Amino acid sequence: MNRLIALAAAVFSDALRRRVLWVVALFALVLAAAIPSLPSYGEGVDDAVYREISLSLVYVAAMVVALVLAATRIPAELERRTAYTVLVRPVRRWEYVTGTWLGIAATMAVACAMFGAIVFATGWVVYGAPMPVLWQAVAAIWMEACVVAALCVAASTMLSAATVAVLALGFLFVAHVRADLLGGPGNPLWRFYPSLDTFNIIAPVAHGSGVSASYLLVMALVFAAWVGLLMLAAGAAFSRRDV
Amino acid sequence: MSKTPGGIAIEIQGAAKRFGGSKGRVAVEDVGLKVTVGSVHGLLGPNGAGKTTTLKMLLGLVGPDAGEFRILGEPNGPTARAYVGFLPEQPYFPPLLTALELLTLHGRLSGMASGDVAVRARELLDRVGLAGREAERLAKYSRGMLQRVGIAQALVASPEVVVLDEPASGLDPVGQRDVRNLMMELKDAGTTVLLSSHQLSEVEAVCDEVTILNRGRVSAKGAIDDLLNVAGRTSVRARGEARSLPAEIQALMEDVAVSGSVWVFSVPDSTVRTVVDLLDDSGWAIESVLPKRQSLEEYFSRMLERTESEVVS
Repeated sequence: MNRLIALAAAVFSDALRRRVLWVVALFALVLAAAIPSLPSYGEGVDDAVYREISLSLVYVAAMVVALVLAATRIPAELERRTAYTVLVRPVRRWEYVTGTWLGIAATMAVACAMFGAIVFATGWVVYGAPMPVLWQAVAAIWMEACVVAALCVAASTMLSAATVAVLALGFLFVAHVRADLLGGPGNPLWRFYPSLDTFNIIAPVAHGSGVSASYLLVMALVFAAWVGLLMLAAGAAFSRRDV
Repeated sequence: MSKTPGGIAIEIQGAAKRFGGSKGRVAVEDVGLKVTVGSVHGLLGPNGAGKTTTLKMLLGLVGPDAGEFRILGEPNGPTARAYVGFLPEQPYFPPLLTALELLTLHGRLSGMASGDVAVRARELLDRVGLAGREAERLAKYSRGMLQRVGIAQALVASPEVVVLDEPASGLDPVGQRDVRNLMMELKDAGTTVLLSSHQLSEVEAVCDEVTILNRGRVSAKGAIDDLLNVAGRTSVRARGEARSLPAEIQALMEDVAVSGSVWVFSVPDSTVRTVVDLLDDSGWAIESVLPKRQSLEEYFSRMLERTESEVVS
């Protein structure tokens, strides 16, 4: 466990110092502040629309950061040989990939908290009341970003950063079109489809009162299952690789 | 296997690796190596000889096609690697971390407590000449400074076995001398050092034994004195005002070098007594009489010129 924490702490420290995180945060801040002034926001602006657009913005920002951090991390460490001195320590390959993912997940937590704080504060200032339900969606976005990061980490043990990024974007697309492709739960393939729809709670958060605690628990279980499966695959693939 | 002096610290048997599948390039074939506890062992060879692949297989970075690898008796794996500190050739480190953070990471990966790592890291950074620079990001470090911090990370967990791949690479002469002194300090402290280097003078100065690889196979191995001493001949160094040596000696001597009034030459061992007496009788001052020894560079060059049929396993 100490080795996982040490690896995660190093990845976290390194990732927080990358410009991409802060550039995306600044971009999100500017856009979030601009949403209420869009032409469609006249008198009697609907705060639900604000929540929907701002959460979509958080989603895109989180996915960009997750892709940049996770798709490039291991390929860059192997190419620059910075992984050598780590892997010759008493570190198992699965610990290396899991520690890397944990560090990225922690960075994503900071990033999502930052993005969430921006849209929360902007909404409070503009509409005069806090919107705590936003945090449910921010948590869901963080989980989905972490699943995408796990996919990137797993794939990057075998593929180049560019290939991983394309693969992850393709996965994100496929993972959100289950209903369009299969119709509904009546389709026998429905349960086996690699969907991330569980994490898409922007609509109930924006236009309703959010989701129940039991749904949040299901979401956490789905998150754990995805990450566990991908980390197992990553550890198995990386343990066979010559570096 | 024993961790006490005289035991075996590193043992490689029958190591083989081929890159690119069954029809690919043979990188290493039937390589064997034994390093005694507390010794400094040199691993030599021209580019592409298989040195780095051998080290990578020993350290678990590359999976071997065949062979056994043991460090202090443990088969290669996380347990064995706990004994090892490694400096790769041209070390690169995460540029956004500081030297202190880097050493903390490596210390903790080796199981050290956070408090111990902090103390050890500062001590080592001071030792490699980076005191006061520990909070700077590694992106700001020069090539030589990265090499120094690389040496510090290799030593952070006080390893019993240190594997150094070109440790003096990128260092100025003073830095190279410091690395040489460091290796001697490690040896004095009982640490085993496996040194891969192109700097033959460095290897000759610090190593007790060497293994020479060529084309993926072991070409020569043994104690450095045994390899470099020329059997049956003795080197004589004498000073005198005469313009030439006595005729009887001239008939025996080879490899003659003259610098001012100093003559250095070699003679057969069996004639040393006679030669010394002749020099003495002729008024020459004898400065030294030593077993004739070739430089490692000479030995290395000759060895590489041999045909593959002379390669030994």
